[in-house]
Amino acid sequence: MPMQSETAARPAGPRPVQSGRAGGAGTTAGRYGPWRLLTLFLAFLVILVNPFLNYFFGINWLQGWYQSLGVGHLWFVSPLEGLESLLVTRSLYLPSLIGMAIPLLLAFLLGRVFCSWICPISFFAEIIERCRLPGSRRRGGRVRFGHHLIWFALVAELLLTMILGAPVFVVLSPPGLVGREIMMAVFSRRFALEGLFLVAVLAPELAGRRVFCRSFCPLGGLLALVGARRRMVVTLAPERCIECERCSQACPMALRPARGETLSVYCWNCGACVDACGPAALAFAWDGADPGSRAGVRFAYHFAQGRNEHAQEK
Amino acid sequence: MNRRKFLRRVPAWAAILLAWPVSLRAGILASPVATNRLRPPGAVPEDLFAGRCIRCGRCVEVCPYHAITLLDIRAGVFAGTPLIAVEQIPCTLCMKCVQVCPTGTLARIGQEQTRMGLAVINRFTCLAWSGKTLCRTCYDKCPFKNRAIVLDRLKPVIREDTCTGCGLCTHACPVTDDLGLKAVNIEPIYAHAE
Repeated sequence: MPMQSETAARPAGPRPVQSGRAGGAGTTAGRYGPWRLLTLFLAFLVILVNPFLNYFFGINWLQGWYQSLGVGHLWFVSPLEGLESLLVTRSLYLPSLIGMAIPLLLAFLLGRVFCSWICPISFFAEIIERCRLPGSRRRGGRVRFGHHLIWFALVAELLLTMILGAPVFVVLSPPGLVGREIMMAVFSRRFALEGLFLVAVLAPELAGRRVFCRSFCPLGGLLALVGARRRMVVTLAPERCIECERCSQACPMALRPARGETLSVYCWNCGACVDACGPAALAFAWDGADPGSRAGVRFAYHFAQGRNEHAQEK
Repeated sequence: MNRRKFLRRVPAWAAILLAWPVSLRAGILASPVATNRLRPPGAVPEDLFAGRCIRCGRCVEVCPYHAITLLDIRAGVFAGTPLIAVEQIPCTLCMKCVQVCPTGTLARIGQEQTRMGLAVINRFTCLAWSGKTLCRTCYDKCPFKNRAIVLDRLKPVIREDTCTGCGLCTHACPVTDDLGLKAVNIEPIYAHAE
């Protein structure tokens, strides 16, 4: 498998140890982090201000939140919600399909960037991460579940939806609930009870990292599946890697970028590893590495990887 | 959790599901639509509504009269769906909500095709029918005056083929009985049609 052979191809022996990540030519520290936080903040701002605009000023230019967002006459529909709606009612509705097209295209080209760069849950998680228990910042934190659980979450969610004949995720979608709670607060001067689910989703963030996003979010699972062969990936230049493992410490998804795991289906292109990499061995690349060899192995490789990791934890 | 452990727990989960009170299960799947509790214009039949609506709340946000409210988890699987309580704020048939619905749960129809329900006059409590006064508030407030509500010897009569169920009459009706009902109420008779 290519990723392992890359690792093996590295020259053995002592490596030059670089002190600190700041300074030095080619350093990329902090390049994406602030932008990601800004994007997350702006994305949160959109759903924060639009109930106020609609309620107090009658401005309908923006409507909804990340289940369906209306920007003027442009509509976005969350793919999983749209899929549920389609499966339960077994009817196609063109505006809904068109609304799903842009998020799906985004996921197809860039991967789970909705999750890491837009989703309000990620915004809260990044905030919490900055004021959290010491020690939990490393390697995905203390609370961890297998990556592959996300596929079970996706399948279970769709099955449950079809058995019940009523959608499950649209009712309790965490990014949707954030919008719903803000809107309820503005329109009805109260919060909806289901907001407690948000507390349950965000509570593990105190001791872990993206626990829900990584292993349980059905929408994340769908976007990861769509983005399995994404064009944008984080690539590793093995000759520059000093195996300091800073990237593994930085990765909120508990992947090991230095071992090529950024090419896996579970990487959500947040760029935290790129920022953490001192010698600039990691970088975003459009259609990086060799897509032909990479595409086929992704699922197989990382299912095996996840299982090994799991076995080690026990 | 390994596979064996997981499989061992399956019967326990099945037992919990079966033991779950039937009434509670019905409560989770029960529709919130009732007298004076209506879906916005153009809504698909109620048995499809929970499945089709993606709870984006856009109809609620665009409603300029704040007539549409959002249900919470107490409505079971209907949490997040829109509902209009017509005796509180009626629908003015501005048809903005049907224009923004992304899933076609609210079909893009016109004012006159709207069938949120049917106004029904309670002739025992109605002031005009019980002969207390010459009240014709509902007749005056009806957006389809003389078509959806007509006066028959000074008493209001609903025309079923024209009434849209917008609830402007219900909201305006001066009578409120012990049950909180007005003398003219909207019955969601089309909610389970088709």
